[in-house]
Amino acid sequence: MATVEFDQVWKRFPSQTAPAVRGLNLTVPDRELLVLLGPSGCGKTTALRMLAGLEEPDGGDIRIGGKSVVGLEPKDRDVALVFQSYALYPHLSARDNIGYPLKVRNLSKAEQGAKIDRVAEMLGIGHLLPRRPAQLSGGEQQRVALARAIVREPRVFLMDEPLSNLDAKLRVHTRTELKTLQRDLGTTMVFVTHDQAEAMSLAHRIAVLSQGELQQIGTPDDVYDRPANVFVAEFIGSPPMNLLEATRDGDSVVTSGGWRVPAPDGLDASPAGELTLGLRPEGIDIVSDGQPAEVVAVEPFGSEVIVDVRIGPQALKIRAAPDVRPTPGSTIALRADAAAVRLFDRASGAALS
Amino acid sequence: MTALAATEPLGAKAVEAAAGPPPRPAKRAGPLEWIVVHLVFLVVCAFFLVPFLWLLSAAFDGKASAYIQFPVQPTIMNFVRIFTEHDFARVLANSVFVAVATMLLVVVAVSLAGYSLSRLDLRRKDWITYAVLLLQTMPISATMVPIYGLAKQLGLRNSYLGLILIHAAIELPFLIWLMKGFFDSIPRHLEEAAWLDGRSKLRALIEIVLPLARPGLGIAAGLAFLSAWAEVLMVVILIDQDSLKTVPLAFYEAMRTQGGYTEVQYGVIAAMAVIYLLPVMVVFFAARRLMVRGLMSSTRGL
Repeated sequence: MATVEFDQVWKRFPSQTAPAVRGLNLTVPDRELLVLLGPSGCGKTTALRMLAGLEEPDGGDIRIGGKSVVGLEPKDRDVALVFQSYALYPHLSARDNIGYPLKVRNLSKAEQGAKIDRVAEMLGIGHLLPRRPAQLSGGEQQRVALARAIVREPRVFLMDEPLSNLDAKLRVHTRTELKTLQRDLGTTMVFVTHDQAEAMSLAHRIAVLSQGELQQIGTPDDVYDRPANVFVAEFIGSPPMNLLEATRDGDSVVTSGGWRVPAPDGLDASPAGELTLGLRPEGIDIVSDGQPAEVVAVEPFGSEVIVDVRIGPQALKIRAAPDVRPTPGSTIALRADAAAVRLFDRASGAALS
Repeated sequence: MTALAATEPLGAKAVEAAAGPPPRPAKRAGPLEWIVVHLVFLVVCAFFLVPFLWLLSAAFDGKASAYIQFPVQPTIMNFVRIFTEHDFARVLANSVFVAVATMLLVVVAVSLAGYSLSRLDLRRKDWITYAVLLLQTMPISATMVPIYGLAKQLGLRNSYLGLILIHAAIELPFLIWLMKGFFDSIPRHLEEAAWLDGRSKLRALIEIVLPLARPGLGIAAGLAFLSAWAEVLMVVILIDQDSLKTVPLAFYEAMRTQGGYTEVQYGVIAAMAVIYLLPVMVVFFAARRLMVRGLMSSTRGL
C-alpha cells in the first residue's frame, strides 16, 4: 500500500539522442490503478523500469510511500513487476516460481505452502503447480506470473504489457479479472500498455505519454471527452476523433471542406487563428437537412455502423446506429453535436476552451 | 556419389527393379556406391585408429617395438612396472588434481567473466571483449620464456598453483567467449524478475542464470579438464621436481631415462598412455550429450 510519485524525472540512454523520459511529473495515490499509455518508444516502459529500479533516472526523484527510492536496488523497493514475457524461471515448477519471492524472504516451508495455495486458488491455477513453464499455455504462464507478483503482497504492482501476448478473447477476459483483483487487493498498480481500449477499461486514471513527455493525465472519461491536445485526441478512441483543419468565422468554425459548425461557448481564441476541429465519430448525427457529405464506405460492426464520408477533401468517420446503411457514393446530410465540438490550436496542437 | 552412379547404370537399375514400381525414382545408393562409401569410411577410421591399436597391443606386449604388431609376448607386466618402477600412481594423482582444480577455477572464472561481458554496462566493453579474443589467438609457445621467468620470480615453478593458474589462463579467453554467448541467449528479464523478487545480483546469477547456463558450463568444465589434462609444454617448463610430475612429463622421461632412444621402453610408454586416455574417455562419455547440446546452442548465442 503506497503512493507513487515521479518528480521531474529525466532519463536519457547513451545510445539515443532524444531523452526517453523528459521531466515526468506524476502522482499515483494509494490504491489507484494508473495506466501509462502511449505508442511504442514513448517512454512508458522506461518510466516503469525506473520505478522498479531496473534503470536509474538521470535527474529528478522517484518516491514510493513518500520515500525516495532513487539508488535503491530493485530487491529493496518492495515492488512486484509482471513482465510482458512473464519471465518465469524455466527450470523451476510453477509452484517454485510462485514460491521464489517467499523463499527469498526466508518464510517457513509451511507458511510458503499456505500462501502459494491461497494465491493459486484465487487465480484458479492449483492444478498447474507441479508443471514447468514450458508445459503451460500462454494464458496459464500469465497467471503464474501474476501469482508470483501477488503472493508476496508488495507495496506496488507494476505491469509491463502483461496482456499483450494473450489472444484477443483471453485478453479481454483477463483484464476484467485484473481490475477486480486490484480492487480486492487494494494495492497501488501502475500498468503499462499501448492499447487504448485496455487502458480505458482498466484504469482509474490514464497517463498518456508521447516522446517521453506526459501529454495528459485524467480519468478515462477525461481523456476521451476532453483531450488535452491533438495527440491524445487521435490516440484514444477507436475509431479516433475526426480532426479537421478549420478557421474561425464569427460564432462559427468553418472546416477547409466548407462545413460550418457552431463554436463552443467561451472560446477566446483569436478569430483569425488557424484551428483544428475535433469531433468524435458519435458527435456527428446523420440528419435529413444539414451539411452534405459523400458516403465512401460503410463498416458494419453489429452493435454499430461506422460510416466513412468525405466533405470536400476531408475524410471523416461517423458512428451510427446498427440499422443505418447508406449506399456508398450517395450523399447524406450531417449535423455536428455542438457539445461534442473540440477545438485545438493548429500550430501547437493544444486544446482551446 | 551421383557421379559414381552414372558410371554404373546397371547397379542403379537393379535397385530400381528391386524396389518395384515406385511412384518416383528411388534415390537409394546402389550396392557399389554402398561398398565404396564404406571402404572410404573404413580407411579413414583405420587412419585414426592405428595409433590406438598400437597403444593397446604394445601395452600388453613384453617385447613391444615402434612397429604395430600383435603382442609377441602377451603380459600385463608393463602396467605393473609403471606403478612399481615409475611411481605412476603419484603422477596420475598429480595430473588428476591439477586438471580438476583447473576445471573448478575455470568454471568460476568464466561464469563471472562471461556474465560481466554479456550484461554489465562497462565502458569500452567492446574493446575488452576483443582483447579477450586477441589473447586467444596468441600462440602460447611465443610467451614461453616470459612465463618461465615470471613463474620463477613469483615462486610458481614446481608448484601446483603455478600449473593450475597457467592451465586456466590458457583456456580462459576462448571459454569466456563461449560463456558470453550462452549468457547472451538467456533473457535478461529472468534475472530482473529475480532481483525484483528480492534477490541480490550475485544470488540471482547463482540461482537463476547459472542453472540455465548449465550446458555451457558443462562444455567449459569438460574442455578445461581435457586441456589441462593434455597440456605438455607448460608442464615441461614449470615442473622438474619428481613429486610434482604429471603424466606428460612421465612420458617424456620414460623415453629418456632408459639410456637413450635406442632402448626406449615402448611397452611402458604404451601402458602409461592407455591409462592416460581412460579419464578422457570417461569425461567424453559422461558429458557427450551435454557437450553436443551446449555446442549447438552456443552457435545460436554467439
